[in-house]
Amino acid sequence: MLLVCLIFLVGLIGYSLSDQRNLSWPEQFVQDSVGTVQSIFSRPAYLLSNSIDAVNDLRNVYQENQVLKSHLDEYASLQVELGELQRRNQELEDMTDMEEDLLDYSVRNAMVIHRSPDRWNELIGINQGAQHGIEEDMAVMTSEGLIGKIREVSQFSSSVQLLSDQDAGNRISAMVDADETVYGFMEGIDDESGHLRFTKVDIDIEIEEGQIVSTSGLGGVFPDGLVIGEIVNVETDEFGLSQTALVEPSANFYHLDYVMIIERSASAMEDFDAVEENEEDAALEELLENEQDSEEEGE
Amino acid sequence: MRFALPAVMFLLFILEGTAFQIFAPDYRGSELQFIPRFMFLLILMTGIFRGRSHGLFYAVIFGILYDIVYSPVLGVYTFGIGLLTYLFSMSTSYIKRRLGLVLLLVLMAVIGFEYYVYGMMSLLGITSLAHEAIFTTRLLPSFIMNGLVAALMVYPVRSWFYSVDGLDDR
Repeated sequence: MLLVCLIFLVGLIGYSLSDQRNLSWPEQFVQDSVGTVQSIFSRPAYLLSNSIDAVNDLRNVYQENQVLKSHLDEYASLQVELGELQRRNQELEDMTDMEEDLLDYSVRNAMVIHRSPDRWNELIGINQGAQHGIEEDMAVMTSEGLIGKIREVSQFSSSVQLLSDQDAGNRISAMVDADETVYGFMEGIDDESGHLRFTKVDIDIEIEEGQIVSTSGLGGVFPDGLVIGEIVNVETDEFGLSQTALVEPSANFYHLDYVMIIERSASAMEDFDAVEENEEDAALEELLENEQDSEEEGE
Repeated sequence: MRFALPAVMFLLFILEGTAFQIFAPDYRGSELQFIPRFMFLLILMTGIFRGRSHGLFYAVIFGILYDIVYSPVLGVYTFGIGLLTYLFSMSTSYIKRRLGLVLLLVLMAVIGFEYYVYGMMSLLGITSLAHEAIFTTRLLPSFIMNGLVAALMVYPVRSWFYSVDGLDDR
């Protein structure tokens, strides 16, 4: 009996470790139905936790206000600069006839409905699934920065693998945009310091503390330019062939309640379709109104 | 009332992943990590008070649920919860009468389970953490918390089972 169970266990593990596996329908069914219940429980819990945080925040309001006021002056000048840059960018784009930018992406919002209770896996569940247009390997971020990618999708919910997950397959193409662009991979976290690891950086290239690591947009559906974090330490790897940098993530991996799912370059096309449809609708309505008017006149 | 027990188990299962994670101390600046195993505690107590077959039944069902929802690898939790429930469901009247013994069994099962999961995760390459690195920050706090919860649960759970099954409290 035990032997049969063991064989079954090994078989199941082998099945679930195989790459490129989509969720089977029983798994999707269970995840979706459990996900529904989980959202019911998550919402009030977030309300409660947020109100506790709000009370804590009240203590620092005055100081924060002072700091923010000082930032506000900078903001005005940045705004001017941004406008200027946007205008120039537009001109340059027009000149080169660029149709699609890697930076174009569409954003979907989702609520975090669960987080794996054992700390071995860093997985969270969100309440958006295939029916909402979520696909595997989409980038997931908070307003502060990238947190991970979509791992499994079922119909009404999906699970997200955080950057801090130690799974060997958890790898994201990233870059440092300094004088020259440096490419590498985000691969899990460093056990001792708890920082993210930016690996496979060419040994000849100098990277420094304080530089910003972001997504490179080279792999699959990831858009480029999503901020991951700031380099805090650089070291040569064990074989001396490449460098590994430790990255302090800009996003807070602990307080996750609402996240954004980023899809590359679909927004422009969707917008276009929407505009077309709206125009058709408007034309139809006009036609109907005219008919009504003429009928009324006839009476 | 027949579905009260699975309903409570399901409730614990949901709470472990939602409410507990939202208020988890290690996500609020604490060094210590607490891994909740409340559902497993209830399954174990079911196995001890109602018999091994009852325990195994719930162990497999909720193990599968746990695997699908919270774990990236299928089978680890189903097998682990099933195996430990099987081993620790010593349903003799001698043990049932002594809550201290029940508590000891449950605590041993939780410790065994935590090490089983740690072993499996190391084996599958999902974690590479050394034992010293997690013993004081993760394992020990979890054992203590689950032990305390088990101590709080064991008496109400026994009276509940006895009142439903119509058995005497002695």
